[in-house]
Amino acid sequence: MKYNPNSLIILSEKEKTRIINKLNSQFGITEIPGSLIKKGKEKIFLYTGNLGKEELLKLDKITFVEKAGVYLAKEEGENIRLSIEGSQILKDQMTKNVIELTEEQSQTWMMGHEVEIKSGLKGLVAMKYGQDMLGTGKASEEKITNFIPKSRRLKDKTILE
Amino acid sequence: MTKKQRKIPDPKPLFVERINKILTDKKDNQAYWEILKKTPVDSIRCNTLKISPENLIKKLNSLGWIISQPWEKNPEIMIIEGKKPTNHPKEIINEKDLAKLFPGEIGRTMEHLLGYYYVQELSSMLPIIALTPNEEDEVLDLCAAPGSKTTQAAAKMNNKGNIIANEISLERMRILASNLERCGVTNTVITRKEGRALCLNLETEKIKFDKIYVDAPCSGEGTLRSTPKTYLMWNIKTIKYLSKLQKQLFRQAFNQLKIGGEMIYSTCTHAPEENEEIVDAMLKEFENKIEIIKPELPINTREGMTEWEGKKYDERVKLAQRIYPQDNNTEGFFVSKFRRVKE
Repeated sequence: MKYNPNSLIILSEKEKTRIINKLNSQFGITEIPGSLIKKGKEKIFLYTGNLGKEELLKLDKITFVEKAGVYLAKEEGENIRLSIEGSQILKDQMTKNVIELTEEQSQTWMMGHEVEIKSGLKGLVAMKYGQDMLGTGKASEEKITNFIPKSRRLKDKTILE
Repeated sequence: MTKKQRKIPDPKPLFVERINKILTDKKDNQAYWEILKKTPVDSIRCNTLKISPENLIKKLNSLGWIISQPWEKNPEIMIIEGKKPTNHPKEIINEKDLAKLFPGEIGRTMEHLLGYYYVQELSSMLPIIALTPNEEDEVLDLCAAPGSKTTQAAAKMNNKGNIIANEISLERMRILASNLERCGVTNTVITRKEGRALCLNLETEKIKFDKIYVDAPCSGEGTLRSTPKTYLMWNIKTIKYLSKLQKQLFRQAFNQLKIGGEMIYSTCTHAPEENEEIVDAMLKEFENKIEIIKPELPINTREGMTEWEGKKYDERVKLAQRIYPQDNNTEGFFVSKFRRVKE
């Protein structure tokens, strides 16, 4: 059968363990509740429904599956960047590289701006305000680079007024 | 503080004539036309996959929003009564001495962007209340975009079971995907196929469902309060065309139902050709294989019509429920529920 790059790829247990290990070294995560699915090269989706691998593939064959589950994370070389939903779903397991924001910083962050924080951390970090997880960013010496997608950004209130 | 009169287009004469035939009581008829001039209430549904209703209310209260929960058994369903006045020069005060939300404000909050609630009209929440999907169910949502009912069903199912959410249009499918994303829905598979064709494909592999939801494409007469442009788009030819499509969608969907499985057929229109006529035709076609059930709904409803323009429908059509805007201060809707009792 001809290979379709957009077909569903349901990750094996071995692959899932590899992803968990990466997330463990980044955030202390030890478990992912569901199946991991790839569509395209980088994006990883989490599916918690009751269809097994064979059933999902059968469905994909008879009627092309556009998407299964929620966008959880993206592989970027050795790192894994969690989406907003990824950070929310896994928040209870996160034990490290979590940056707590003030209210003002959380607003800035959700507007899609970088936040000037000297966190002492480098690489991917999860952003948190109170109990709310706000996705992940990339920490460098003096700031956190923002990855909030445009469709999820707060409008700048100073412009709206 | 200003108060603006809402401008709405004039309804087409044939539409007026038809509504006058449906709502024959003078007071009722007046109440219908009156309420169409008013914007619908701001309603939201707490996304319990991400936050509890109590915590969401606390967050929204901190924005100055005043929230009520109209239906005791559904604490996730909320009305935004207004917000505490702030003396903003553009603020409009409502009849409860609260400030109205600014246009678009409801969708601009951090809580919305984080997926803690879904902006959804009250009557549009009824079909999933009637369907009662649970954690073990295999569900088919045949016309799923923009995703209000899919996200509602996923929340009822605690992201377990499985939902196939189908949408024919690419553009609308993208909106569906984006809403499922924002709401953290993980038990759903999205397909993009013409609904009848999807059912035929599923049939070949004998894939059947416990619950099916057909929110059929319709003429939208029930959405005039929120979408006044429907007045301009209203067309009797469209109603006749949609009626044929709706019958076909119902037929194919019902064929995918397991024995004992349940199906909701709903529209957001009052046109009997798109509602009772479909129910009547399907009761006749599926004979002893189908059972119509009165859906349990938390608002005032009226029974389905048994006669329209000289056509008499099966008496059981009365079990289908009509929701008129003047009865509950909502939009208009039609909800019918069925069970497959035989192969």
